[in-house]
Parts: sequence; structure tokens; C-alpha cells
Amino acid sequence: MTFDFAFALSVLPTILAAVGTTIWVAIASCLGAALLGFVLEILRRSGRLLGYAMRFVIDFIRSTPVLVQIYFLYFVLPFYGVTLPAYAVGVLALSVYYSGYLAEVFKAGIDTISAGQFEAATALGLKHFDTIIFVIAPQMLRNIAAPMGNYFVSILKATPYLAVIAVPEMLGAAMEVSSDTFRYAEPMLIVGVVFLILAVSIAQLVRQLENKLLASEKR
Amino acid sequence: MSFSATLAGIFEGLGVTATITLYGMMYAVPFALVFGVLQHFTRGFAHLLVTSIIEFWRSSPVIILLFVFYYSLPSFGITLSGITVGAMALGLNIGGYGSQSVRAALQALDVGQVEAGKALGLRRIEILGLIELPQAFAAMVPTFINQFIQLIKGTALVSLITLTDMTFRAKEISQLQYDPVGTYTALLLAYFIVCYPATILGRWTERRVSIEGRGQRDV
Repeated sequence: MTFDFAFALSVLPTILAAVGTTIWVAIASCLGAALLGFVLEILRRSGRLLGYAMRFVIDFIRSTPVLVQIYFLYFVLPFYGVTLPAYAVGVLALSVYYSGYLAEVFKAGIDTISAGQFEAATALGLKHFDTIIFVIAPQMLRNIAAPMGNYFVSILKATPYLAVIAVPEMLGAAMEVSSDTFRYAEPMLIVGVVFLILAVSIAQLVRQLENKLLASEKR
Repeated sequence: MSFSATLAGIFEGLGVTATITLYGMMYAVPFALVFGVLQHFTRGFAHLLVTSIIEFWRSSPVIILLFVFYYSLPSFGITLSGITVGAMALGLNIGGYGSQSVRAALQALDVGQVEAGKALGLRRIEILGLIELPQAFAAMVPTFINQFIQLIKGTALVSLITLTDMTFRAKEISQLQYDPVGTYTALLLAYFIVCYPATILGRWTERRVSIEGRGQRDV
């Protein structure tokens, strides 16, 4: 079977139509992962026993493949009566997987904040929760913008994994075309090119944001 | 089927998982070293070329690389086996990430190191091999271990191009037994058993390197 350019052009609109799904799934997963990662890291810092438990949870998440976690949630949740639509399982799986990495990023971010900040907040009579939200988090976010941005790009690049549970993002759309037409070469190559363009341009965007943030810090 | 029998069945796929990881390393390590060094030394057009090659492997989602090479290349007359495609796509993807830690480690070295080498009358290649790389290597070890873990976890993807690795075995067992809870729990555990020692090692070396780094700064 040779490469058919006319066919490649004819499937381009179908695949481009799925870019929207790819992007919103990625954004939802970024938010989920950041939130869950932050909660994991805060729990890791609250108490000795809870700390060890959370450390194990984070290590477990980081030591198993995202593909397996997707399969696990997709096939196991319904067994316990939790039937979610495929995209919800997908967002949940990506959130869980990357929360393990973001927890480490948050850890590094909080570690760089001087103990004086915590002490000052205590001296002012702030509660533990308020200290974290109003004093620590804003300072931390500036420190960790760069690694966090990199993980957000990773999440974008992980969205095609969700094709295995039939989420209609770009790869899913391409696989549907393939199974209808029995032609794999053209749809796969197009998805590859579109994804490369998307990933490189979003990575560039993240780098510019970083530079802006660094510049504003220097001022 | 008992849980331990399921786990044993999944570990029948360990051979393929290990083979892909090993072959993948054979692509990843040379690529990371050569392209990391080249990106550090080249200027102008050559630099652009080297960066584009790295970005191609690093910025494409690895699942898409796998599918493009497995499904699209044959229509251009190049047919590669599943093992070759798996090892190459996963290996060069990780190698792309690795090249960035090589470059970063080289850039982080004090210029005085190179100047001292020049003052001693060493050739540039000798400075690279005898002075720069050995020092950069120490800083690279933790990142390399983390990327090795990413590679092991990435091999779960080869189950999608019909190789019978641990994930593929789990899917087979799950279809035969209809016990997704047991099977996928066993699969998570199997990957955890394989990857967790490396996770621990990675964390330990990270601490070592940062302690050594602190010592150097004090001098």
C-alpha cells in the first residue's frame, strides 16, 4: 500500500476537528493534576504517619505506567458501580498520574520558601490553612512556574493515550478513520504532524511566559 | 485464578518488557550523549539542525511516534519489526530528554574548567572527554535514572503494537478470566515491583549529588 496524498488531505478536516477535544481534555487534566498534586503535597507535610502514607502513594503513582493506570480506572471503576464517561475516566487518570509529579514540584517550591515566612504567618495569628493559601502558595507558584509548565506540556502529549479507551481526541479520531477505511499510514502521519506543531508551539508559549515571569521578578 | 497465579501470568511478559527497555537504552544513551554534546558545541545552521532533530523526538507524543513508525513507514517501503519500532521510538524519545540533561550539565560547568584545560595545552576534544564530561556525568546520573524509569513505564505502549509484554499479558488474562479488578491490580503491582527499586535509587542519588554540590560551593 503506497501513501495516498489525496486521502491524507481528505482526512485532515476530521482530525483537525478533534483538536478541540485534545485541548480541553489537556486543560481539565492540568487543573486536576495541579489540584490533586497540591493536596498530596500538603497532606505529606501534615503529620508523620500521614507523611509516610502520602510518600508511598506518590511513589506508587510515579512507579506505574500511565497507560496501565488508564486501563485500571477504566475497567475497575465500573466494577464498584462507578460508571463514568470515557473522557471523565481519561481526565481522572491523567490527573492522578501527573499529580505524583506535580507533588514533587510543589515540594521543591515550598522547600525554597524560607522558614521566616511560616514563622511570620504564625506570629500574625494566621491559621495553618490560611498560611498555605495566602502566604506560601503565591510565592511558591512563581518559583515553580517553569517545571509546572513543562509538566503541562507533558500532559498535552499524554492525551493521545486516551485513544485506547475511545476518547475522541485527535488520535482517537484518526484511529476511527483507520478502522473504517483500513488505511493507517495517512491518518497516523497527519496526527503526528499536527501534534508536533501543537506541542512545539505550546512549549514555546510556556517558555515565553517563563521569561516574562522571570523578568517581572527581577524588577 | 488466584491473585498470585495472575501475577505470575503477567510476569511471563517481563522478558519482552526487559528486551524493549534494554534495546531502548541502546538507542537512548548514545543519542543523548552525542546530540547533547553537539547541541552544546554547534552554532548557526548546524545548531538549528541538531535542535530540530532533538525536538522531533522529544516533542512528539511517544504513542504517536510508535504508531507512525509502525503503521505509516511501511507505505514508504520501510517495514520494521515491532521490537525495532518499540525500542527505537521509545529509546529516541527518552534520548531526546536525556540530551537536554547532558547539555544542561555541560552548560552548568564553570568556564574556568575549560580555560584551565586550555592553559594546560589540552585539545578541545580532550577537554571535553577528560574534564567536562566526567564532571557533567555526576550531575546527570539522577536524571538518567529517572528517564530510565520513564523508559520502563513507556514500554507498556508496545502492547498496542501487538508485542506480548506485561500489559499485553494482563489484557489476555483479563479477557480469559473476566476479573478486571484482580488482573489490573496485579499489573499495577507488577510494574511497581519492577520500577520502585529504581525510584528509590534515583531519589538516593539525587540527594547525593545535591550534597556534593553543596560541598563544592562551600570551598
